[in-house]
Amino acid sequence: MSNLSLDHVVKRYGDLTVVKDVSLGIKEGEFVSLLGPSGCGKTTILRMVAGLIEPSGGAIRIASTDVTRLPPNKRNIGLVFQSYALFPHMTVFENVAFGLRRKGESGTTLDGRVNEALAMVRLPGYGERYPRQLSGGQQQRVAMARAIAPRPSVLLFDEPLSNLDAKLRDEMQIELKRLQRELGITTLFVTHDQGEALSLSDRVCVMNDGIIQQFAAPEDVYRRPATAFVASFIGKPNRLKATVRGGRLTLGEGLDLRTDSALGADGSATDVFIRQEAINLTPTGADDANRIPGTIALRSFSGPQVQYVIRIAGGHELVVEAASSGTASHLEHGQPVTLEVRPQDVLVLGESVRS
Amino acid sequence: MSQMRTGLLLFSPLLLVLVGAFVIPLILLAPTSFQEYQPGAGIAAGSFTLENYIRIVADDYYREVVVRTLGLGVAVTLACLLLGYPVAYLIVRGNPRWRLALTLLVIFPLMLNLVVRSFGWIVLLTNRGVVNNLLIDLGVIETPLKLMFNLTGVMIGLTHIYLPFMVLMLVAALQNVPRDVESAAATLGSSRLHVFRAVTLPLTAPGIIAGSILVFVLTISALVTPRMLGGPTYQVMATLIYDEYMQLLDWPSGSALSFSLALVTILIIWMSSRMTKRWAGLA
Amino acid sequence: MIEQRPGLSITTIALLVVIFLQIPVIIVVLASFSETSYLTIPPQGWTLKWFEAVFTSSNYLAAIKNSLILAVGATVISLVLGVAASYALFRKMLPGSEALTSLLMSPLIIPSVVIGVALLQYFTLVGLRGGFLVLLIAHVVITVPYIVRSALASLSGIDLSVEEAARCLGANGFTTFRLMTLPLIKPGLVAGALFSFVTSMENVPVTIFLAGPRETTLPILIFTSVEMGVDPSVAAVSTILIIATVAVLFVAERWTGFHRFV
Repeated sequence: MSNLSLDHVVKRYGDLTVVKDVSLGIKEGEFVSLLGPSGCGKTTILRMVAGLIEPSGGAIRIASTDVTRLPPNKRNIGLVFQSYALFPHMTVFENVAFGLRRKGESGTTLDGRVNEALAMVRLPGYGERYPRQLSGGQQQRVAMARAIAPRPSVLLFDEPLSNLDAKLRDEMQIELKRLQRELGITTLFVTHDQGEALSLSDRVCVMNDGIIQQFAAPEDVYRRPATAFVASFIGKPNRLKATVRGGRLTLGEGLDLRTDSALGADGSATDVFIRQEAINLTPTGADDANRIPGTIALRSFSGPQVQYVIRIAGGHELVVEAASSGTASHLEHGQPVTLEVRPQDVLVLGESVRS
Repeated sequence: MSQMRTGLLLFSPLLLVLVGAFVIPLILLAPTSFQEYQPGAGIAAGSFTLENYIRIVADDYYREVVVRTLGLGVAVTLACLLLGYPVAYLIVRGNPRWRLALTLLVIFPLMLNLVVRSFGWIVLLTNRGVVNNLLIDLGVIETPLKLMFNLTGVMIGLTHIYLPFMVLMLVAALQNVPRDVESAAATLGSSRLHVFRAVTLPLTAPGIIAGSILVFVLTISALVTPRMLGGPTYQVMATLIYDEYMQLLDWPSGSALSFSLALVTILIIWMSSRMTKRWAGLA
Repeated sequence: MIEQRPGLSITTIALLVVIFLQIPVIIVVLASFSETSYLTIPPQGWTLKWFEAVFTSSNYLAAIKNSLILAVGATVISLVLGVAASYALFRKMLPGSEALTSLLMSPLIIPSVVIGVALLQYFTLVGLRGGFLVLLIAHVVITVPYIVRSALASLSGIDLSVEEAARCLGANGFTTFRLMTLPLIKPGLVAGALFSFVTSMENVPVTIFLAGPRETTLPILIFTSVEMGVDPSVAAVSTILIIATVAVLFVAERWTGFHRFV
């Protein structure tokens, strides 16, 4: 039984359909991310679950109860906003107490639960401050405390980390994951950051253009993308044009690739995706992988990684990442190299993708 | 749908008040303005005439009042602009420590009762008022100057009353002029006067127009100050409307004059808002 | 960075103009304490007899009472109706909200004297002429644009997600309005209410056509008594109004930073 389920949910604005027939089941205590570029409909779905937007069609159930027509205040959800949306005229204590008061809590029980929530987000003793007296990270924690204090049956996050700087974002990611594990609350997390989605979630739902592209565990989404869109959106893929010839992929001029993916009809053109990080870059070749000869066209150092642009036959260029501590860290411009790609990393995804 | 119902519930009480006590009364003014007025007998029932409107432009007395009203509008607007710009400039560009005090000194007369402000000018300007007494005591003049019940008194009073509006509009406009732009012009070799003429003035033009429209419209609609400082003889449109309703009981003529006055103000505001929109489109 | 501060001549002119703005106020205050019935500079002798005249005159006291009741009543009604209507407009609950906004603001555009004669004629026609209720309705019409203007401006400054957050935390529509929207637009509303109060308090062009002898307000009393000539008791009652205005302005500035809303 799913704790949160969307059943053929549609949202139209006039002629524009932003969510097209989305069905989704999230299990009790599961952490699911909605991942996609801006305008893909992920925030619309989140706001429909919250009750802030009414769906044009379909049904939304929380704990098996149909909530499709219920106003947000009757849904028992916790929503953390991108802007935090802290109440500027209330103290941190009153912000966190707000949802509890609406449930009729008062006195020492209220105090206890507010302080418990503040302790959980590691802000004990901040109750008397006003939001404007807090840093961005602290405001983020208050927003979380406020959402979890009334013990909602579903937690919703709308790009909550996007206003934080990179270092703080990594810190908050870990906090968020820990908190969700401790509380065991079903969570729907909207983001356009694939790193965030992959590292936080039990399952990731990749969306584009109002449609679910793939709904699977992070590893599956990464290793076995279901569509060309997923392959191009997740990770750092190289995209090459290839032709199917005699049961093999040909990049041109006798350069064939073996692949584990199913191939189309003989003579058909197809897009091939190879992730930068899936290419093993060695000065010399070894084992049973695809071996592609090439030359270094560009090298760029970025700390832990070195990126190479490598020119191969047929006028193709591939971007390849290598660890800066590895053997392939000091290749020079023009040096001939061999690229190794295992057949399972050569992804053939039928349709041609718009970039 | 329920949104719409809530909206109606929230909006309709005020809508009822405004339609019942503003829109309908204004509309009902129209039929009266086309009726004939017979002195002593009142409004002739069932009559229709354009006379009330024709009189406004054809009759010498009416035309004089209309021209005087519009002329006062222009003169007061110019006076407010000339006096108001330096004040606004000082508030925005002067010492920041003075800003609040100066702003409050400009707002204070605005918040003060209009009748009180006009009364203050009467105390100053009457024949035995402060100004005349002072001038006679100093031996500058022998008989009192006529400072009231004429253009001088009404000009001074109206300028004083609408000056704060102009200053506040100009302050808003000047705050939108980036200082860097003025500094840039100065580093390019402009003199202080030239910076003002070439940069500040054009950039505050929208504020100048908005302030001028506001002051002009307020001036031509004013009743209290022109009556208190102009007396019953120095008439403007608003005071004439007042007399036609309260003294002469010539409602048809009064309503025609009212309509003309309202039409002028609506027309000016409509044109200015169109102009601002076009400017906004250019920017 | 070149500091372009206003020069000495501009500063002098500006300060003179600011003084010009205060002159009638100073003169009225001096006249109200002056022994002679015509103010001289310097004043000859000080007295409180004009204030005594005000406080013992039943006319003045009744007019002050009428004005205060009218201004408070009109402002309260305008606040309730105006805020409700503005909220509906701001949330786009009704079609054609732009046109509806113009309607609410239009009493500012039509000259007051025209509104006055229109109401005079209308209330005569429907047989409601005179009486406090008519006056109250008329004052709601002329004060409500100030409330609507400040309410709409304040509402547009609120982060929409704050209200959504309150809804998600279990607050219904009315609770959200009471606990979020209202406190957040309060400073703007205080300023709007003050404008509304002042507008009602000083109105002559509408009031004079509608008020019967028993509903005479303070500005009407001053306006009509001045036609009889300058009476120092008018200066005394004006001074009382000046002091009240200064006090209200001071409190409003302290409370909400009033000058930001003008």
